Amino acid sequence: MRQREHRQNYLGARGWVWAGRYQMERHLYVLHRVTGLGLLLFGIIHLIITTFFRMGDKDTWESAISVVHNPVLKVGAYLVVAAFIFHALNGLRLILQEFGFALGRPIPPIYPYKDALRKKRRLAVILIAVIAILAVVFLYDFAAGGG
Amino acid sequence: MAERDTKQITFRLQRYDPEQGGILQLQEFMVPTSRGMTVLDGLIYVKENLDSTLAFRTSCRMGICGSCGMLVNSYPHLACHTQIEEFHSDVLTIKPLSNLPIIKDLVVDLTPMFDHHRSIRPYILRHDAQEIENPTAEFGQTPQELSDFLQFTYCMKCGICVAACPTSASDKLFLGPEALAQCYRYCADSRDDGQQERLRLVDTEHGVWHCHLAGACSEACPKGLDPALAIQLLKRRLASQALGFRRKQLPSPVVSPPTEQKPKVPYPEFTVKAKE
Amino acid sequence: MRTRFHLIHIVTGVLIAVFLSIHIVRLHLDDILDSNDPNSWESMIHRATDGMWAALYIALLAVALYHALYGLRGIILELTPSARAGRVTTWCLVAIGIAAFGWGTYVPIHLLSS
Repeated sequence: MRQREHRQNYLGARGWVWAGRYQMERHLYVLHRVTGLGLLLFGIIHLIITTFFRMGDKDTWESAISVVHNPVLKVGAYLVVAAFIFHALNGLRLILQEFGFALGRPIPPIYPYKDALRKKRRLAVILIAVIAILAVVFLYDFAAGGG
Repeated sequence: MAERDTKQITFRLQRYDPEQGGILQLQEFMVPTSRGMTVLDGLIYVKENLDSTLAFRTSCRMGICGSCGMLVNSYPHLACHTQIEEFHSDVLTIKPLSNLPIIKDLVVDLTPMFDHHRSIRPYILRHDAQEIENPTAEFGQTPQELSDFLQFTYCMKCGICVAACPTSASDKLFLGPEALAQCYRYCADSRDDGQQERLRLVDTEHGVWHCHLAGACSEACPKGLDPALAIQLLKRRLASQALGFRRKQLPSPVVSPPTEQKPKVPYPEFTVKAKE
Repeated sequence: MRTRFHLIHIVTGVLIAVFLSIHIVRLHLDDILDSNDPNSWESMIHRATDGMWAALYIALLAVALYHALYGLRGIILELTPSARAGRVTTWCLVAIGIAAFGWGTYVPIHLLSS
């Protein structure tokens, strides 16, 4: 059977992003990865901007701040805060579940099967509700001028 | 009769023949289906009546052997275990399992999965070689100890979890949910004493820490095995070991066969009396 | 071995959540309580001369760099199965991390002393 090379069939990175017909937990995995990379990108830019401009003088600082307070960038700042809230709270869920603390015990599989993640779905839903509430609170806060 | 109403369903099958050009193409077949027909019944109809060059694996047709795993409408199913009616669709797109090399049409090469499975030493390991080579009696195991890992013994190596896993999609060296769940199955078995060696095998660059709890493997598993739970419990063992918590649990001792005779039960009376 | 790095990844995750929340909330509260724009030059200089802020920034930088670069390394390793490419990636990320930490620590300390 090894004479011919079989056709490679890996989904590749597309398999990360396309969560398709799977249930909520896979979409949470995709979002966790996307927000993590987004926060990494923002962190690099933020580090560069604050360190360089703090070393400068007052005028360059003030002009940098006025650029950052552009409404388009304020939307970006809100997205960063929302991404941080999601990544932190979902990360908390992952810490609990990745060590099996919030997953329950093995049970004999009796049809219809309900695996541990679906049985503990309530935890994930509560967490998403908290994330949504905090996101709305910060949306209000940003819209009212904070940031 | 309503149950015998046949409906023409379009089966869109992915064809791939390395001997005839080796291109992926979708080929359509019209299959008369009725209530109670499984996807496998439809494929067998195609092979018997429409195109006998179609290649797919099938064996038990009852969801116990794990041969017929394939992607039906982009979700991995066992073809024999999946009713056509449950899709509520006139078109079924059937492709081979993802993340495994395709041999022909709907047949995939499960060798990468078996190689990963073999690499985690999926057998009972004990230090008393004398007992293993020349067994004198059985290893004792209470029902409580059995229930700790029984769920993970039902694996039939169908490859559906590997097709569902997002990490297996890009990382060829990732052990995969099947191998990791079976690694936990052996580590959790009270008869086994090989946890140290196995944990060293999964604590690697492409080992257990690349599982990010997407949960797709457990969702898609046709036997309700919950490989995700097994992998997270394996991570707990690894973390406890790294933090220094030792499990002082000896493997099951050898239990000699019972010496006392059970009382002899008298043969029951015949229920049907012979005619005098 | 990998387990220990992963456990540190988790601990730094929790620490980031704490420090970053302090960073965001404190800057935001300064806006409300002191009615000083926290982004103005004066309040920035005030923070730059405060040892507690410098310590917070350095600690936040350290944990954030470890957490982010370990996560990035995991994502890249899932794409490149060759062992050599993996080693190259690891050392590049370690170099980037050390350089970023060095630069990010130099700035608050320089500002503190000036």
